[in-house]
Amino acid sequence: MNSATLSGRLLLRQGRSGTLWMLIAGLAVATAALAAVSLFTDRVGRALERQAGEVLAADVVVSDRNPLPTEINARATELGLTTNDMITLSTVLFAEQTSALFDVKAVNDGYPLRGALKVADGLDEPDRTTDGIPAPGTAWIAPSGLRSLDIEPGATVILGERELTIQRLLTYEPDQGGGPFQLSPRLLVNLADLEGSSLLGAGSRARYRLLAAGEERAVNRFVNRTEPELSGRQRLETAGEAQAQTDEALEQARRFLAVAALTAVILAAVAVLLAAMRFSRAQRDLIAILKAFGAESNEVMHAIGLLLLWLVLLATALGGLAGVAGQYLIAQILSAQMSTPLPGMRLQPLAGSALFTLLLAAGFALPPLLSLKRVPPMRILNRSLDMPAARERIIWLVPILAALAIPVYELGDLQLALLMLGGSALLAGLLALAAWGAMLLTRRLSARASGAWRFGLAGLSRRRGASIVQITALGLGLMALLLLMVVRGELIGQWRDSLPAETPDHFMVNIQPDQYDQVRETLEEIGARQLQIRPMANAQLTGLSEKGSLKGGDEPPEGGFTGQVNVSWIDSIPPANEIVEGEFWGSGDRGQISVARRWADRVGVAVGDRMTFDSGGREFSAEITSIREVEWNSFNVNFFLLLTPEAGEFLPHQFVASFYLPPAGAQALDELARSLPNTSVLDVGALIERVFEIINQVSQAAQVVFAFTLIAGLVVLLAALEATRDQRRTEAALIRTLGADNATVRNGLLIEYAIMAAIAAALATLGAAVTGWIMADELFGFDYQPGIGLFALGFASSALLIIGAGWLGNRSVLTTPPVRILRAG
Amino acid sequence: MDAPGGRLKIVKDISLDLNAGQTLAIVGASGSGKTTLLGLLAGLETPTAGNIWLAGQNLGDLDEDGRARLRRARVGFVFQSFHLLPSLTALENVMLALEIGRVDKPRERALKALGQVGLEHRLNHYPRQLSGGEQQRVAIARAFAGNPAILFADEPTGNLDRKTGDAVADLLFDLNRDRSTALVLVTHDPRLAERCASVATMDDGHLQPAATTDSGAAGDSRKAAGVRGA
Repeated sequence: MNSATLSGRLLLRQGRSGTLWMLIAGLAVATAALAAVSLFTDRVGRALERQAGEVLAADVVVSDRNPLPTEINARATELGLTTNDMITLSTVLFAEQTSALFDVKAVNDGYPLRGALKVADGLDEPDRTTDGIPAPGTAWIAPSGLRSLDIEPGATVILGERELTIQRLLTYEPDQGGGPFQLSPRLLVNLADLEGSSLLGAGSRARYRLLAAGEERAVNRFVNRTEPELSGRQRLETAGEAQAQTDEALEQARRFLAVAALTAVILAAVAVLLAAMRFSRAQRDLIAILKAFGAESNEVMHAIGLLLLWLVLLATALGGLAGVAGQYLIAQILSAQMSTPLPGMRLQPLAGSALFTLLLAAGFALPPLLSLKRVPPMRILNRSLDMPAARERIIWLVPILAALAIPVYELGDLQLALLMLGGSALLAGLLALAAWGAMLLTRRLSARASGAWRFGLAGLSRRRGASIVQITALGLGLMALLLLMVVRGELIGQWRDSLPAETPDHFMVNIQPDQYDQVRETLEEIGARQLQIRPMANAQLTGLSEKGSLKGGDEPPEGGFTGQVNVSWIDSIPPANEIVEGEFWGSGDRGQISVARRWADRVGVAVGDRMTFDSGGREFSAEITSIREVEWNSFNVNFFLLLTPEAGEFLPHQFVASFYLPPAGAQALDELARSLPNTSVLDVGALIERVFEIINQVSQAAQVVFAFTLIAGLVVLLAALEATRDQRRTEAALIRTLGADNATVRNGLLIEYAIMAAIAAALATLGAAVTGWIMADELFGFDYQPGIGLFALGFASSALLIIGAGWLGNRSVLTTPPVRILRAG
Repeated sequence: MDAPGGRLKIVKDISLDLNAGQTLAIVGASGSGKTTLLGLLAGLETPTAGNIWLAGQNLGDLDEDGRARLRRARVGFVFQSFHLLPSLTALENVMLALEIGRVDKPRERALKALGQVGLEHRLNHYPRQLSGGEQQRVAIARAFAGNPAILFADEPTGNLDRKTGDAVADLLFDLNRDRSTALVLVTHDPRLAERCASVATMDDGHLQPAATTDSGAAGDSRKAAGVRGA
């Protein structure tokens, strides 16, 4: 009989009686856990990306100062994408008595392609989602616009040559626009009206946009084909390039989901190792018999190797199906909580999971199985001749490392992966060391103990090697479960709390220098907190020289930042800013400029370069002396460019204020805004709400993913307990045969499991707390304080799970006649 | 031999011949080296010094795989603790040995062998569902199904009550007689030993000369199917 036939028969025959199922279960759980988590993470990641893309109101936007070539629209349509034309324009709007600068947005039916508009009928009316747009001849206005023009809904405004009736208040638009600064009030109109307004002639500052959305593959194809063809001033933005606040939230989401997936991976690896060890032990008799009956070593090893391959294939198929079903279930549960449907499943993560399982089996299961080659046929006559397991060759680390590289690659976060894997390895080492110490202690104690205590303590020290492996596995499993609770509960909670309760939620722009004192006094009076009032000038970048030599001549830099840029000046580094290169100036310094890193990267400037601006006909030149990292989601007033204070003497400017306003101050703020008609007040509370909404969804998604990891953790716990169950049952039956009563046996087993639970719980809670603290500090940027609840939960769940599962697995020993157990064993 | 605690010298100065169809009982106190000798004779283990010929081949000239090939062609085993694979049924346990031995029509031959030991009604039972005597009968069917030239039995009745033990012994000797299979058995049971043609006693690793018993029908030395150790 050849090896393939032998392996097939062994699989069929052993499989039917259940011997192989433990290893299959371990491998299947590994596949299922990684498949479900990575499939789901993949879908959620893409959904969040798409949702973040709501800030574009589309999946992709192409824009230009001039009307876009019709070919671009034609291509999008040809690829099956839905499109929409949009024109934005900053212009003055006239009412009966008043006028103000507005950001006009003109759209077609079908806008927005992603997300939804919200409108209200009046200032005190509740808002609602709508899927329409203003009909020709009507307009929807932002609430602050009513104040600016001092009008009521129903009023008529003049846009170029068109008269429009203000029909509704526009309370939310997904693509509200980047940052609080260019926010003149919004006026949403029908595209036909803007086109008929005569405002789009030569010299107009309109921006033309093509919005497109659809199947991910079609979007990618559209982007790939269109991007290379764009000319100088044309821009293409995708959902992935979301604005700062959303980016940050998305990044945090990825990290949370990656933690869940990696935890599952580590647990699955432990489960496979435990199952493989148990399986290889169970194969020793088989191999000795096969050899005694004349099977050759290589034949047996080939058969065992093939057997493992069949197991992996079977487990991959079962696990893959379970994974697909699992992620489908998760997606179903979550779909109600997500505002956009999840994109379809991709097969790529599934293939990754299958390869992962194969490599994991090669690394963890093959070495113990191959060591069976050394089982002497003489073992059949004398079991004491069993050779101890050989020290495995380091070569087996290769498939293990390769296996672990797959989830790291799929989740795309090396730092987090190293932290998780390193932490797990360190914890495993510590757990093993502590377990070894505890074994020494129990050995001494068991000599002095009597009755059940002796039975329990001796049980632990008698199986010292197995107990150390078990405690390590239990500790790892438990730590993962606790880490989930830490991550799920405390980390997310504390992270949310790390956004200050009094995050600025209002901006007031266009404050003239002579209004500065009045605004500051009034705002302080009406209870505004976190108040910052900063000067701002709109300047034209006219020249850029690289350490003395001219760079780009008189041409302003290309890219997102055209020649026009807002600048401010200050005498000390503002909050939420950190110098990453160069030095910030001291008092009295002049002629210097500090640039935000994003801007510096995009425009391509560095410390030492000199920039020249023109503002209102006055020139100002300064040298870049520092680069700043700016926390854009801090909702403070931040600027790409900061100048030394003397700039204020040169540049015509206004002020912008940011502050948190308790609800009670709303009326007073309204009055202030009315008394200063040139200013605009912007309520970004809605934007902050949106950030929290994203965080909420992320934590919900993370919780569902974690639930799956929790199951993987439980499987490891059970596998660890199962590993020595047979031996425990036989021993218990033996001492019952010798006359021990049920209470002694029961208490002995409980004592053994309780000690194991205590050691595992102590180390796991400590490990979870330290890992949580490191993660919070290194990755999420806040100080995590482990609560007493973590420790209470750790010990309680450890006791419940280990003693409970151990007890359930062994309770039959008390009711089954001992002779039956001994005969079966 | 190599053991987990280091190298052990268990049997020494042994000279022994066994011809086809002969029966030999090896008796002696526990720890005297009986089972080790059996393992050496069957080629499960190799001696540090001396030679063993099995079925005309010097085991010292063969590597482990060579000895395995020789075993599957010529040797059968019966063990005190039966050593049936718990995950296989009675029929599958017998078939597996035949399949390893590359015997044609393993299922038919296994069915026949189990029929010969009176277990045709227990074919699909797992070992745990069988009594001790039945398990040993499966082991005997497994050992004889491949028509070995020589059968090694390690305490074949050691785990059985007297009545069942007698029945198993009858079976062993019947098959020995019917098929001219040489039989080497290690036993503590003087009654079982007496049924063999000769009895050799192990004492602290030394083998006392074989004594011929009343039942000692001499084997056929011309068949050269037996074993010779020196």
